[in-house]
Formats: sequence, structure tokens, C-alpha cells
Amino acid sequence: MALRELVNKIVPIKEDFSIKSLLGFKKTPLNILVSFMIIGLLLLLVWGLTQYLIHGHHAYNVTREHPWGLLISGYIFFVGTSTGLCVIASFGHVFGIKEFNHIGKRTTLLAIITLLPGFIIILSEIGHPVTMMIYNILTPGTTSAIWWMGTLYGLVLTFIILEFGFALRGDHKWAVRFGIGGLIADISAFTTLGSVFAYLVARPIANGPFIPLYFLLTAIVAGAFFMFMIYGFKHKLNFPEEVEVTLVKLAKILGLLLVVTMFFEWWRMMTAIYGGMPERADTMMKIIGTSSFWIEMLFAWAIPFVIILVSKGKAIKALFFAAIPALISIFLMRNDMVHFAQMAPMQMLKTKEYQLAPTWIEYFPSSVEWAIAVGALGVCFLLYYVAEKAFDLDEEAHH
Amino acid sequence: MEVEISRRKFLQGTVAMSVVGATVATNLLSNEHGSSHGATKGHAPSSITTKTSTGEAVEVATLCEMCVNKCAALARIEDGVVTKLNPNPAFPKSRNMLCARGNAGLQALYDPDRLKYPMIRVGEKGEGKFKRVTWDEAYKAILNGTDKFPGMAKILDEEKDNRSSFLFCAGEGMAEHTFKTFYGAFGSANWLNHATLCLQTVVSGYGVTIGAYAPADLENAEYIIMAGANRAEAIVTPDTMDGFKRTKGRGAKLICIDPRFTHTAAKSDKWLAIKPGTDLALVLALTHVVLTEDLYDKKYVAKYFNGFEEYKNSVLTNKYTPQWAEKITGIKAKEIYEMAREFMAHAPKAVYYPGRRSTFSNNDFQLRRAMAIFQALGGGIDTKGGLVFGKKLKLGAHEVIEPMYAQAESSLGSSWVNWRNDFVDNKQDYKVRGMFIYKHNPMLNMPNPTKTAQMLKKMELVVAIDTMPSDTVMYADVVLPECTYLERTDPVKTFGGVEPSIAQRNKVIDPMFDTKPVIDIMRGLTNEITKPLWEITKKYDEDAQEAIEEDGEEETFAEFDMRIPFKNSQEEINHHMVASVYGEEAAHHLHKHGVFYPDMGTDFKQLGANKFQYYPENKKAYSVRGGKPKTPSGKIECNIPNLAKKGTDPMPVWRDEYNYTVPDGKFRMLTGRHAQFTQSGTANNAMLHDLIFENYIWINKRIAEKRGIKFGDTVEVSSRTGKITIKAYPTEKIGPEQVFFVHGFGEESEALTWAYKNGGNDNAVIEDIVENVYGSASLHETNVEIRKV
Amino acid sequence: MARYGMALDYKNCINCKACEVACKEENGVLLGADKHRIWVGQNEMSGVWPNLDISHAAFMPSQCQHCDNAPCQEVCPTNATYYDENGVVRVNADQCILCSYCMNACPYDARYVDDRTMTVDKCTFCSDTRLARGETTTACQNTCPTKVRIFGDLDDPNSEISELLRTREHFSLKSHLGTKPKLFYLT
Repeated sequence: MALRELVNKIVPIKEDFSIKSLLGFKKTPLNILVSFMIIGLLLLLVWGLTQYLIHGHHAYNVTREHPWGLLISGYIFFVGTSTGLCVIASFGHVFGIKEFNHIGKRTTLLAIITLLPGFIIILSEIGHPVTMMIYNILTPGTTSAIWWMGTLYGLVLTFIILEFGFALRGDHKWAVRFGIGGLIADISAFTTLGSVFAYLVARPIANGPFIPLYFLLTAIVAGAFFMFMIYGFKHKLNFPEEVEVTLVKLAKILGLLLVVTMFFEWWRMMTAIYGGMPERADTMMKIIGTSSFWIEMLFAWAIPFVIILVSKGKAIKALFFAAIPALISIFLMRNDMVHFAQMAPMQMLKTKEYQLAPTWIEYFPSSVEWAIAVGALGVCFLLYYVAEKAFDLDEEAHH
Repeated sequence: MEVEISRRKFLQGTVAMSVVGATVATNLLSNEHGSSHGATKGHAPSSITTKTSTGEAVEVATLCEMCVNKCAALARIEDGVVTKLNPNPAFPKSRNMLCARGNAGLQALYDPDRLKYPMIRVGEKGEGKFKRVTWDEAYKAILNGTDKFPGMAKILDEEKDNRSSFLFCAGEGMAEHTFKTFYGAFGSANWLNHATLCLQTVVSGYGVTIGAYAPADLENAEYIIMAGANRAEAIVTPDTMDGFKRTKGRGAKLICIDPRFTHTAAKSDKWLAIKPGTDLALVLALTHVVLTEDLYDKKYVAKYFNGFEEYKNSVLTNKYTPQWAEKITGIKAKEIYEMAREFMAHAPKAVYYPGRRSTFSNNDFQLRRAMAIFQALGGGIDTKGGLVFGKKLKLGAHEVIEPMYAQAESSLGSSWVNWRNDFVDNKQDYKVRGMFIYKHNPMLNMPNPTKTAQMLKKMELVVAIDTMPSDTVMYADVVLPECTYLERTDPVKTFGGVEPSIAQRNKVIDPMFDTKPVIDIMRGLTNEITKPLWEITKKYDEDAQEAIEEDGEEETFAEFDMRIPFKNSQEEINHHMVASVYGEEAAHHLHKHGVFYPDMGTDFKQLGANKFQYYPENKKAYSVRGGKPKTPSGKIECNIPNLAKKGTDPMPVWRDEYNYTVPDGKFRMLTGRHAQFTQSGTANNAMLHDLIFENYIWINKRIAEKRGIKFGDTVEVSSRTGKITIKAYPTEKIGPEQVFFVHGFGEESEALTWAYKNGGNDNAVIEDIVENVYGSASLHETNVEIRKV
Repeated sequence: MARYGMALDYKNCINCKACEVACKEENGVLLGADKHRIWVGQNEMSGVWPNLDISHAAFMPSQCQHCDNAPCQEVCPTNATYYDENGVVRVNADQCILCSYCMNACPYDARYVDDRTMTVDKCTFCSDTRLARGETTTACQNTCPTKVRIFGDLDDPNSEISELLRTREHFSLKSHLGTKPKLFYLT
């Protein structure tokens, strides 16, 4: 009880919060299914991490030519979604869009619980995380996008946790201050993550300003879809008016972002192909030829956009159903982005007589990589459930 | 995911060769052999490759034995482990280089599959079941046999001291000399080595025509025709190093003539695809152009040719025109004219490269004769930029004995394939019942291994001396493990040429496990067998009996005492052979630096990071006889009537049966080399295996496509001899009617971790066809069928 | 303090792979196809037999280019990749966190993961083996049969390599990326 009081002094916890309350959910078939799913995902994650601890990078299918795999994409997916949520959380208090005020606390929480699985994944991707912590400080590589990205995400986590804490305490002044800090740090961090690829001069398909900007846009898109998914589940599609107003507004913003992103994507495609520059045009043509590209186009952009366009943003139930495939498509999209950047080999000659000349580099994640990247979702859901039980996440309407 | 396997772990995991008996050492890596001659006691490193350290190290000058070239190496030893082999710059022949194989010599030394101790057979022949024994037990088993096989004493007694009832066969190598000394002392007439599976026809063809198989001065030649030789892949020093630094428009024009687009073709200025086995027609047509256009060196021909008019007459009346040759060879007449004219324009600094390779076609001997004559027509004999006889430095003698045994029958022939087939088919005049095999792998190295297996099974006593458990060793009754070349000093050798020198293989570390150098094995063996076998000689040899009556037994026995050549160590013998001619200082220099030649101290200089001077230009032996051929007559022999008596054409002529034909749907089987493998001897080398995992069969891309064969597909290759399976490599580097795969793969010995059933064995499909002059195996006369499986 | 570079008389190269083996044996590089510091590249022959493009048949020895402006160094978050006092691009294994960014950033595929330390490894110009012992050649240069490689100090106007680069035409790989490679291919 002493611990509880101590925590309560920092942030208010719901009075009925206990282990018992955690297990005391209504045993509806859906709830049982969800709980089993969470346990399943967590077991998957534990198995994957164990394999990683035993075999190290040998457990992954990454190679000399394709050193980054599913874990990098998983990381980008989670932290990107988190950035999007962080931006949406600030719509209310930071940008003064009143309809978003009441979702601020919950959305900030969502940003935290999507950021943490991202960190779990990246720590299992980095070969030597402890060395990283030491030498990031001792011998900082200030010309390295990864160093800045890592440092910024450290700040992001600090800021949004503080923001969330102050929000729980009802200290809106400090919550907003840290909110602004978090927002700036987060946008910087995620676009810096984009620059990790954008700085690669040897890889024309990734090099240039496109990826950081694209990251920013798609982060908010992913965040919005995540909001639809969470609120859809929370209210079982029976949205209170207050929430409905917010989600319709969000849908409109989403619609705008989808249009902008599609223009971005279009011109990137055209400028990459036009002129036939090697390693850029051929890679782009190869990208257009993949099924995952079209899945992404259809489920992440076209379908949601049509729904928003036709209903003028009011079909928020339909958007809930569109959000889940859209998020899966965005996950695919992150994976494609990482893979496509590495697809063109840097060395085009045969090094042995009895081999075919190098062509596009192939990569398919190992089971361990899948387990960690997908299993991390379990952490996200578990934390959300615990937080929902522990904290009061809805802000008073009278604010 | 390639994970490093420690050597020790590897050993535990691979006891493929079943060793029966309780005497298996608990620690197979322990060195049970005492240290001698101050060499370092060795042990195996803990991983396959070892990073060289910056700490203390010993350096020993030695000679490589990964192939036949004997390049000079400097072995680096750190704490008993040989960590690196570096080139020894002091040797003019190898010009400061070690190839991939030379560098991978460490893996031969530390091969976990090495033969580690003497063994005798306890299972069925060929089954690979052996028992570990001591050296004494092994020698005794050779003399007295076991319940599984008869000993030498029994065989010789039953054959009434016919020493030729034992066959001796050896692979190429410096210690082959020591083994051959044993053969001489033993008194058999049956000796088989690689010659008739290798370069017999080229050596003899040049020998009878210009008096020597002379090296080519590729360092100074301006025009080189390299036909059927692949110097970029079948490395010969110094030709490989000299040959490719000035090609591609940089001073020497290289024309590569080969059915396949080899690495040599890639480095040449022009590649002409020729139909296999038709080179003779090409050379005759080149000769025709030279004769009709009067392009030859008239002074040289007048002075040094025998039978020129007859040959000219033969070439002209047979109308060996380029147009005629185009139909046979597939090379355009225009190209032939151009080649002949360019060659003669550059002569005598022009080389029709003699090559150093196996016999490919039945006309090979005549081809070599025609090549030698064509070379001589340009006057490029014994001259800078042409073929050079060079000089050879003298060496002192060492004691050998070659007693005459009255009961010993004469030789049953020197053609390996013929000898084997006659033996298996019971066509020999007397019984041969035992054989000694030294560093030789007839199961892999000659066509038709089924017949070789029959031979080895039929042979009552087979003694194999080797470093590796090869396919052949599996058929042995007694296995005597030789140490590798890095663990022994071999007979000192003199290397002739433009820049002659003497070089010596020095022991780098003491023999590991229970292995020995050949000279020690011979000493031990002769100590065991000499006296008992002498008793048999006394019983049957009338000449010996007479001599005993006249001179007494002791004096007579001294002539038959097989122990004599082996009583001194190799180090002592070498020292004597050098010191007796060049003095003590020279012998010490040779031991320390691996190489010696007079005036080395002043003449050997480093000119740049990659460049050394061995002899100053004015001391190089480009011309030692003023161009005079080395034949007994001192003339180029165009016409040799004696050959006709042996049923061979006295002058090179084309015969219709030489024409290249392949039945529809079949392929001409070609074999050859890559620069990373030396026959089967390197098949189990971990490092080289890493460079080429397995051999693939080259098949023309368009033909492969028609047959639905893709890269990496397994195909079955079959002929009358047998069939193998191998992966396919569709490529345009080979013509539509031919297939090729590199020799040295597809071993069947389970004791070889990397080589076992790895890739395909060319000899398992090559038919045992021999040419008629020397009975050399003609390796490119087989047509095969290909089927996707 | 030198500035080491290497000139490659690549037309001499016969693709015998002596350099690859010498490198592995000298530096204790693990076996395995993708564990190479240096390699010799070849084209699959183009053309149709017997009319093959012999002009397309050159063998290209390659390795880390020891760029003066190395992308791998620029992207390293912990400065594990550094230029040593001789301008050689090196990796300090103790500082390497295996983020693999350098492997992605290298335009030459010159980096790989060493399975023992699980850190990124690459060509060192034999700095910690041969050069550290006072030798003046790399293992690959020393062993090469046709003497393709010339290693030396680019800052020393009297060095063999400087002389060669002054007098012989040469090119570098992907120099348009601004990497300033210190490997020079002599034509």
C-alpha cells in the first residue's frame, strides 16, 4: 500500500486499480479472445527475444548486402505511429483545436505505448545495446543520423512521459510545455529517422529530401488510423457525440493528409522513373511491380480516401473497419521502404564463377524477426489495458 | 549463416573413416613424434584461419607443394603454429608470388582429415576399415602380411624373386625422387607415374623434334599463340606471371585458341574458338602459309633443319591451306593467314606456346612435333623472346644402389591406362601381385575408375604412402602416413632456365601426429625387409649365388643392401650435394634462404615493391647454343623415319580419323583446370573449397535453354565409362556441342570432409582411350550424354 | 603519418584469387562466402559463342576504397569507424554497436559482420598485422602472381604509387559520389 501511496503522490491512480481489477474484465467471448491474443503476442515476443539472446544476429536473415530487415521496419512502424499520435495529441492543447482537447491525455498515452515496443524492437536489432549507451555519450558521432535520431528519441520519451504525468495531475500548464517539447522532439526524431535513409548517397532510391517529409506525413496518417482503431474498440462503435465530433474532424484532416501524401508519392515516382537513371528508375519500376506496393496503395490510401471523400468524413464506423487493414498496409509499407532502399546491390560483379550475376537482393525475415516485430504489439496492447485500468484517461469536458 | 567450427570440435565430429581397435589416441592432436633438427614442434591452431600477430615469430624458407611448380615460400611460425605462408622473393622461378593454393597450404598442414598414424586393413578391400598400428607393426605387416593379405616375403618367394612382381607408382613431387630411389634399389621394372596421364606427348614431341621440351620466354616474346594451354588458370611459374603483364595492347599480343572461353581467353587480345582435337590442322595450315609465302627464317632453316624439303613437300602436296583448315578447325582462313604473318613478322620474338598439359587428342604427339617445327621456322629457338634452353646449375651426387636381379622380369609397359587394363584383363606376361603407391591417386587421376578399383582389389598387397585418406588409400592394405610438405626437408633440386637456381624445401615444423617424411619411411621399411628379402634372392638368384661364391656374402650383399640410400638424413644428403660443388657457405645459404645461385649476393636486388632482379640482363641465359637444337644431330628433325617403324607418321600429317565429330544430341567432354584446384590433391582443402564449393558443368546457354536446364540444376552426365551427377552452369563461354567441368572433384572417400561426393569426377565419364605412340590417355576423345535429373 | 592508398594494375589480374586467400590467412578472416574483405569480380560473359565480348572480360579486384570522405565513417553513431593516422579507414570493434548503418552506407559492399566479435569488419590495409610489424606491403600485394597491386604513401611524392599515379591514367570506382577513394585503377 505504501508503494501505491507513493505512486499516487506522483500521478493519481484509479482507486479501484488492483491486480484483481486487472483480471476482473467481463468474460465476453471477444474479451477472452483479445486477452488470449495479447498473451500469445507476448509469448511470441519472449520466444523471439530468447532466440536473439542465444543466437544473436544469426537468428535473423539479415546479410552483408541487406543488413537491415524486419526489425528496422517494425521499429519505424511503432515509433512513426507514436509520432503521429503525439502530433494528434497536440492538436488540442498546442494548436488550439478545441475538439481535440478531451482526447489529449489518452492520445499521449497511446504515443507512449507505441513508442516503447519500438524501443524493444530496436534494442534487439542493435548488436550491442550496452556499448551503444556507453559510446553514444563517450564518442558521439555527431555526423550520424542514427546518433541524432537515438538522442532525440531519448528526449521524446522523457518529454511525453512528463507531459502525460502532468496531464494526469491536472497540471495543464506544464503538460502543454512538455507537450510542445515532445512535439518538436518527436517530429525532429522521426524525420531524422527518415534522414537515416535520405543521407545514403550511394542509394539513389532513398537519397534526397523525400523520405523525411514522407515520414512526417505518413506518421500522422498512421496515428490517425490508430486513433480510429482504439476509439472504435473502446466505444464498440457506439461513439458518444463528443468523440464523434472529434473523429469526424480527424477524418477530414486524414483526408487532407492522404491527398498530400498521394501527390508526394506520385511526383516521387515520376521523378524517379523519368530519364531512366540507373539504380533509381529501375528500382522504382521494380517497386511498382511488387504486390505489396499495390496493397499499400489500395488499403492505406485509396479505400480510406474514398470513404472520407464520399462521406465527407462522417463515415467514422467505416473508417474504423478501414483502419485495421490500413495499419497492416502501413506496416508493410515501412518494411518495403527499408527493403527497397537496399534492393539494388552495391557490387554488380560475380565474385565466384559458379554463381549468377548479382541482381536484386532478396530478403525474407526469419521467424525470430517476425516474432519480435509482431510480438511487440502485445506490449502495446498490454500497456494500454493496464493504463486504462490504472489512470483516468478522459479529460473533463468542462475544460 | 556460416559459423566458425573449431578444429578440435571438427575432429570430434568427423570420424568418418572407421578406425577399429583400442589404440585410438585420446588426443588426436598430440604430437607423439620427437623434435629433431631444431625445427619447431608444431601443434594445430584453434581455428581455421589465424590472424598473424605482431609478436615473436620464426621464418623458415621452404618450397610449396600445392601443385607441381615448387614456388618459394617463407613460412611464419608463431608459438608452434604456422600462421602464414608468404612468397619468398629470392626464387627466380616463382618471382615473389604464391597463388591461392600456395596460400592455402596451411589448410593442407592442418587438415583435420589427414592420415595421422600407420594403419593396416582389417575390413574388406576398399571398405575403408583400418586398425591403427605402430610403424614397426606396419613394416612387419608389409613383410609378412596378415590374415587379410599376403606379405612381400610370401609373394617374392612364390614368384621366385621376380622383383617385377611389384609395381611402383608415384605422383609428381620432390620426394618422388626418394621413393624412386627405393624402387631402383628394390629392382622392379614396373614404374608408373603421372607421365602418360600428363605431359608425356608434349615432352617427347618437342624432345625428338628440337631436342628439348624448352620453356618459352614470355617475358620478352612479342607475339604469343597459346593454343590448348590455359596459363591464367593452370598456373605455371614463371610463365603465368610473365605472360599477362603485357597483353591487351601493352606490348605483347596474345592469341588464345581454345574451345572454351577460359580466363586466359579473357586476358588475351584475341580468342579463337577451335573444334576440340583439331589443333594439328591449324598448325599445318599456319605452316602452309609460312611456306607458300616464304615467311620463314631462311638462314635458320638452312643451318639447323633436317628434312625440311620433305616436310615442305608434304605440307604443300597435302594442300594444308587455311581454307582446308577452316573446315576442320572452325577457325576462319582469314584469321589463320593473319596469325601466320604476324607470328613470322615478330619472330624470333614469337612463341607458339608449347604448353604443359595432359594429352587431349589421339594426334597430340604429332601436334607437338608440328608446333615445334613451326616455332623453329621463325628461328625462335634458344633465343630471347622465343623458346629457351637455358642453363642448369650442377648438383653433387648422393649414394644410390640399383642392383641387377637375375630373376626380375622386364617392364610391362609405361602407359598407365594400358598397364592397368592389361592387368585387370589378365593380359600380362607374368604375375604382378603387389604395389607401392606414393602420393598418387589413380582412383581419381585416370579415366575409368571402375577399372582402377578392379585393379586395386585384384592386387594382393597394396601399400599406400600419402598424407590424405584419398579414394585410392581406401583400397590399401597398409597405409603409411607421410607428413605434409611443411613438415619435411625434401631432396634439393636445381631449376634450369634463363635464370637458373637451386632451391630446397626446408622443414618448417616437426611432423605432427605419427607421420614421417618418405625418407624416414624408406629407412624404416628397408631396415625391416632388406635382410629377409635377401634370403629369397639368395634362394633363387643364380647370379647372386655365383657372386657369393666368388666374393663372399658380405661383399655381394653390399650391392643389394636397400638400406644404403636412406642411411643419412635428407638434410645431410642435401648439404653434401650442395657443399661438394659450391662450398659450405652455399649449403648454409640454401638452408637459410631456400634459394641459391652463384653471385646471388650481388645480382639479387629489389628494384621496387613488386620487382626483383635475379640476374642482370647480360647474365641471363637466353641463348646457350647459338640457336643450335639439342637433338643428337643438332638439327630440327622434320622427318624421322624411325617413327614409321613404330607405326607412327614420320612427319606430322592430318588423318581423316582426327576429324572432330559429335553424334547428334551428344556432347564432347572437355576437362581442365581452375586456378584454385590442383587435381584431386587439393580437393579437401577448406580454404580452396571456400573459393569453389563444387564444380559445375559448363553447357552452352542456348542448348541448356532448349533442354530446360537452368543454373544450378542437377544433370546426369553419362558415357560408356559411367555416369555422374553435377550441377549445371549454362554459359556462352562454351560451344553448343561441348561440355566442360573442372577436374579434381567428386571423391568417394568418406574420410574427406569437404571432398566427399562433392561435385563430379570427370574421369568417371571419360573413356580410357589412349593415343598410339606412348599410350597416353587422350582426355578429350569422349562424347557424353546430358540429362536433367 | 602517411596517407596510404593502392593502385591496381587491374589488366594484369587473372582472377586466381591468391589475394583473397592471402588476406584471409594473414588477417584471420573467417571462411564463408560473404566474409571477405577483398574480392575479384568478373562479368558473366556477354555475346553469343563464339562471338563473345572480350572487351568485357576484365577482372576487377576490389575491396574497401579507404575513401578520404568515407560515407561509412560519416554515419557511424559511436565513431567506431575512424580514420587512423595513416588515413586508413578502420573499425574499433570495442566501440561498434552493430547498427549496420555503415554497411548500408558503403557504396562498395566492402563491409561485413565478423561472427566472432559480432562487429563490422573490413579491409585494414593489413595495418594491425603486416604494417604493424614494419612491413611495407599488404598481404594481397605481396602474394599477387601478376603484381596487380601497388600499395604506398600518397603524400610521399617519391613513393612508387605517387609516381605511378602521376604518369599513368587511372580511374576510381563511384567517385561521382564524392567519396574520394584511395584505390586507383590503372588503365
